[in-house]
Amino acid sequence: MRRETQHVLLLLLGGALIKITLNGDYLRYVRPAHGWWVLGAGVVIVALAGVGVLRDLRSAPADVTGHAGHAGHSPWLLMLPVLAIFLVAPPALGADAVVRSVDANVVAQRAPEFAPLPDEPAPRLELSDVVARANWDRSGQLDGREVTLTGFVVRRGASVQLVRLAIVCCAADARAVRLRLDGPLDVPADTWLEVRGTVRTGSATAATDHVPAMTVHAAHVVAPPPDPYEY
Amino acid sequence: MTAVVSRIRITSLQVFCAVLVAAVLLQGLITSALDAPAARTASTVFVAVCVQALPFLVLGVLLSALITAFVSPRVLRRVLPRSSAAAVPVAGLAGVVLPGCECAAVPVARRLIGQGVAPAAALTFLLAAPAINPVVLVSTAVAFPGEPGMVGARFFGSLATAVGMGWLWTRLGRAEWIAERARRRVDNADRQRWAVFAETARHDLVEAGGFLVLGALFVAVLGVLLPASWTDALAGQLVVAVLVMALLAVVLALCSEADAFVAASLTTLPLLPRLVFLVVGPAVDVKLIALQAGTFGRAFAARFAPATFVVAVLCGTTAGLLVLGGAR
Repeated sequence: MRRETQHVLLLLLGGALIKITLNGDYLRYVRPAHGWWVLGAGVVIVALAGVGVLRDLRSAPADVTGHAGHAGHSPWLLMLPVLAIFLVAPPALGADAVVRSVDANVVAQRAPEFAPLPDEPAPRLELSDVVARANWDRSGQLDGREVTLTGFVVRRGASVQLVRLAIVCCAADARAVRLRLDGPLDVPADTWLEVRGTVRTGSATAATDHVPAMTVHAAHVVAPPPDPYEY
Repeated sequence: MTAVVSRIRITSLQVFCAVLVAAVLLQGLITSALDAPAARTASTVFVAVCVQALPFLVLGVLLSALITAFVSPRVLRRVLPRSSAAAVPVAGLAGVVLPGCECAAVPVARRLIGQGVAPAAALTFLLAAPAINPVVLVSTAVAFPGEPGMVGARFFGSLATAVGMGWLWTRLGRAEWIAERARRRVDNADRQRWAVFAETARHDLVEAGGFLVLGALFVAVLGVLLPASWTDALAGQLVVAVLVMALLAVVLALCSEADAFVAASLTTLPLLPRLVFLVVGPAVDVKLIALQAGTFGRAFAARFAPATFVVAVLCGTTAGLLVLGGAR
């Protein structure tokens, strides 16, 4: 691949990284803390391409490092993420990724004691927080408490689940956090819902794959949040 | 007529523009083709791996370019012991303080050989730098918060692999296995250092970036093709699990800064196979084999890659049994 082509490719690649950090799309792919890294990498890539262009304009490309000028065919692959980001902009992972992953909630007891629930009617909680409490909290503070949760719908046969994906680093390591919804709900998969209800005591056991069940009092469709994952 | 034909030479820039125009025109077609749920999941994972790993690769090529431009070969020769058997462990430990992505370590090692460093020492550096540098060790600690032993086990397993391969090269290796172009001395003592820096960083990024994208493609496609429960089948069989994870490390070709997070997510497996995955991955994988064949020649890669695989599996298993105290 010629040097000019490499410069254009790097400009587009760096531009793609800068674009997704500025418009917030990076939250579909990596955790928020990674945003500065992505932006920095985009700026450095654009700068390296810019320096290359300037040096080539001023003089014939001098081979200062002993590298061959043509870098083989592997750089062509860099077009794939550029095209994917600019033309396709893949959405955040949804119901398909959940159906592909294991059925059970992977629950690890992190803290032996849970912080008291917020003192307000139907507090908004993270889905992974509620699932952890339903599995491990023996203080009974979740029993009969009405809570508000946000997640997307995954249908498994007759049952409807409210799901969030939790990521450690990027979407490649996403893990599903599930809650079964009991109530007349007729919404298609991948619909984002805000649900108010109570978690049924003792519903999260090894027999239910650690998936708790919720009695739904109210549910309405909401727009997908800009930050689709839990961490 | 032939003169006209020979003047119309198609350059990569023209091909590039044609691909861009075609992609823009066919955007609707591409988007609808990727609308199938599996393709959508795979494309998201593909972009996610690229976006997540590119900053690490940029960091790697900047550091490798700094070393290339500002660390003089004369200093390197003075620092390294004269006997190559003694230089090997020094080069291995140099991998700790001179971090770089595995893709970026290849050109650095090539340059070290070109400047007269013993090949055994340069190859040890090639294996050590991507595996045991601070960025990798920190990300391993972050990925395994409850298992501090993983960091130590990974460090010792990878260091043993690098030093072991160096000594093996001292005994059995032949300089002529390495392609002549990689052994050629590059004289750039009086060049501008910042120009060398910018050019090396740019070159390494373009070249290594392509292989990174290839790795991301593998991750995305395998993630959709492999059923989620495939690791469950390995849970009870330790020896098979170790071998399968070692092969998986070769096939997945994850960047060494990111592989710990993938290993951490395979919660159904014991720690030992996941440790072997982390020791083998940075030492030998498909994108490294391709890079080594391109840089040092096929005769080199055909001998070096299989030998490294065997040594890495042995060292990873031993380090796991010693540091982690069993398979766990």
